[in-house]
Amino acid sequence: MVAEIKSISPVKVKRVTPAPAPREIAVRVQDLAKTYRDGTEANRGISLEVRRGEVVAIVGPNGAGKTTFLRQLTTELRPTTGSVSVFGVDALAAPQQAKRAMGITPQEAGVFERLTVREHFELFARLKHLSKREAGAATREVIAELELSSETNKSVGSLSGGQRRRILIGLALLGRPPLLVLDEPTTGLDPASRRAVWGVIRRAVNTGTTVILSTHYMEEAERLSDRIAVIAAGRLIAFGTLDELLTRMDKSYRLSYRDAINPTDPLSDLKIRYFASFAQAQQHISRELLSEYSIARASLEDVYFNLTGEPFDKDETETIG
Amino acid sequence: MTRATDILCVFRIQFAGTRREVGPFLLAAFLFPAAMYLFANAVAGGDVAPPQSRLRFLAGSIVFSLSLTSISWLGYLLLENRFTGRLKLFATLPLAPSSYVFGVLLFALAQAAISTTTLLLLGRALGVQTGPNFLLLTIVILLTILCLCGLGVIVAARARSFSQGSLLTDTLGAGLIFLAPVYYEPVMMPRALRVFAELLPTTFAARAVQTTLAGGHAIGNDLLALGLTAVVTLALGFRLMEWRED
Repeated sequence: MVAEIKSISPVKVKRVTPAPAPREIAVRVQDLAKTYRDGTEANRGISLEVRRGEVVAIVGPNGAGKTTFLRQLTTELRPTTGSVSVFGVDALAAPQQAKRAMGITPQEAGVFERLTVREHFELFARLKHLSKREAGAATREVIAELELSSETNKSVGSLSGGQRRRILIGLALLGRPPLLVLDEPTTGLDPASRRAVWGVIRRAVNTGTTVILSTHYMEEAERLSDRIAVIAAGRLIAFGTLDELLTRMDKSYRLSYRDAINPTDPLSDLKIRYFASFAQAQQHISRELLSEYSIARASLEDVYFNLTGEPFDKDETETIG
Repeated sequence: MTRATDILCVFRIQFAGTRREVGPFLLAAFLFPAAMYLFANAVAGGDVAPPQSRLRFLAGSIVFSLSLTSISWLGYLLLENRFTGRLKLFATLPLAPSSYVFGVLLFALAQAAISTTTLLLLGRALGVQTGPNFLLLTIVILLTILCLCGLGVIVAARARSFSQGSLLTDTLGAGLIFLAPVYYEPVMMPRALRVFAELLPTTFAARAVQTTLAGGHAIGNDLLALGLTAVVTLALGFRLMEWRED
């Protein structure tokens, strides 16, 4: 019996881009490592280069060391060894100078609840050494871009968590720094706000801004980034474009299915299995008499699983074989 | 110029951040010391207390007020910034840690200026005879604030939690007043404590404020001691108050 294919996820159309011309290196990280005084090793051997105008997403399991890496990059955490260069400036030797080129959104940072949205932006713009006039213009621009116009004169304390998160992103954008470092910028945002932030990031990139962001959302990494860095257990285990990462997987088709014994039972686990070819996946469907399944090209999520050994969302998938 | 702008912006952020609480802040900076003045005066005999004692009580209350604003409340602000993640926000900027501290310190200075003026007016209303050289008094107050703020910065930078830091700044803010001969003569203290108290910045500050309020100028040694202590405590505070974590 030949099983009917119920659904096949649409194959993504990849952007076809010509081979990039050599570009200036915006960030160069070499052999970065951090060992705390109690001997705990946070990360080691991280080396990567980010080109000007590029978007690099940092993904990895919880506790993998994504934030540690970004804190080292933004000079907040002193590495034990290694070097970080931002547009040619040694960020370890001259952190203030390096930070002039950066807009940073930390994963967790407090805002000044009693300041109004406008005051918050204006005063922080001045602290980024913008003139009074520039600070006013930058404030208006960021407020409009982050869709906070109706909140301009409200105190930050009266805003929702998502709006406060947008303020933190806006503070990074002030003054249009050439490098944005965003640690999980959209965590906690509703889907509409998340898309709005993606739009903000894209517009920044269109004007030549380099972006390094960490994320828990695979879709975010796939949609926004030119290259993806996978960090696990404090080490950089993969770095490349999505296509480059996919070619590292020898099994490039994913079959998702429920057990043939009781496929309609909503409690039966969704299972996933990888195959080298579409035909092999079909053979498996026939052999196991599967009736509810889908076949799709492997995605970043699958690459992530293959590299880290952890499914991206444990609640939704159980991976076998 | 950039540094001055940075300091002013941090001050404005702190001021705007507490503007709805500035009343209670100032009231507390005035109320405690004023009550202490009245209490000490009453214990010393009220209206029959010698003018010299009343001058000492007023000087003591001014130093008490400076101690509260510099150690307790400045420490509180720094601790609040650190443990609510606001310090992290400042750390993302090309801002020197010392500019941040001086910005908060400017806020403490503004508080101190208002509470000292109010206490001086209270003293005058209650008949305390003073004839201060205001320039000298300003210098004494400035050095006292710098010196005590350094202690607040050290505690705020090293505290492991907000509650631990708050307890320490409160204890230091009041303890440095009552362990020093601020409200009474040094001879009234136990001998061992007297030696220790001679090293406390509040001792130098109380002596200098009292002398200045009386119209005297012989405070060179106390100014020197306050200045040296300010250099040491602030240098240590700046060293500890780093954006970068080890």
